[in-house]
Amino acid sequence: MYPPNSALRDNLTSAHAESWAKIGQPGDFLTGAQRVEIVRLAREAMDCHLCEDRKAALSPNAVEGEHHCSGSRFDPVVVDFIHRVRTDPGRITHKLFKAVTAVISKEQYIELVGVLNSSVIIDTLHNAMGLGWPSLPDVGRGRPKGVSNTQVVDEGAWVPILDVGANQTVDTGLPRVPNIARSLGLVPEALNLFFATFRPHYALKDIPLSISQAQAEFVAARVSAMNECFY
Amino acid sequence: MLLRESGAQTDTSYDLNSVTADTGDSGVPHSQWLRRLTEAAISSNWLALAEMRDEAEAAMGKQQVVDALTVAAAFNGITRVADCTGIPLDPDTEHSTGAMRSETGIDQFAYDHKSQRYADS
Repeated sequence: MYPPNSALRDNLTSAHAESWAKIGQPGDFLTGAQRVEIVRLAREAMDCHLCEDRKAALSPNAVEGEHHCSGSRFDPVVVDFIHRVRTDPGRITHKLFKAVTAVISKEQYIELVGVLNSSVIIDTLHNAMGLGWPSLPDVGRGRPKGVSNTQVVDEGAWVPILDVGANQTVDTGLPRVPNIARSLGLVPEALNLFFATFRPHYALKDIPLSISQAQAEFVAARVSAMNECFY
Repeated sequence: MLLRESGAQTDTSYDLNSVTADTGDSGVPHSQWLRRLTEAAISSNWLALAEMRDEAEAAMGKQQVVDALTVAAAFNGITRVADCTGIPLDPDTEHSTGAMRSETGIDQFAYDHKSQRYADS
């Protein structure tokens, strides 16, 4: 997926190649074709005038219109959600979450979030490196496996999260398994896909990059602020 | 929040307000370049990013530029996972960062607040 002189680490490029191929395969609750369509819709959102106007508006709900979309097998509510996540994530609301999970299951929702945001990482890095969009993943045949995790708990998130039992705080000041790492726990494949993509980019301590931990945290914090992320 | 922790590990104080402000020097090395690279990447301003990369590489080195963009890309994804799941802060973090969240304006991003602010307006 990346040229050999990219200065990216081998573990990152191989993880991305593996994640990209997996996105094209059936997941636990979505087909390969649906998963690749999520990536396509997210990219179309980047050229969507409705999303652009909403982003500029004081309230995204004040602007009506049609999304730039070359067709979709998903319900329009889901298409709208994908566009909003890609272009205006800071204004995703509980009400929108409930609207989406009225037309797809929570398991499908979690898988969508995992696929979409894995692709956001890969697409962002490609474009930031001046490489443009990578070709969409090849679509694999087969049906979703239908595997969900029953070891989940309600701890105040919109979705049930991974139950990890006793979760002591460690020397980073965070629990052994931070909430964000538990958030996709309802669907094991979604959890694995996302964090297999994310993990080579960052570490909570002793970050194995040429920038210091403080520099990495500054970049991370600035992204969080730009995306209006509370966590 | 981990920026504060990172500073504590090295007995260094960073300006946390610079994170939520559009300008300002956080105190980390190459703060201004990190800010510009990150903002261009997260705004999908690929043209501006391409134009600033050579200059950034001259100041920081190619590997540091690539690694800064690597971290930015990762957090462009993981922040959306948090935004889509309404995940609460980890308990110790919630207790230990209250004053800092209030001071820096991060509390305005709380999912309950945002859901009320944007849901029906």
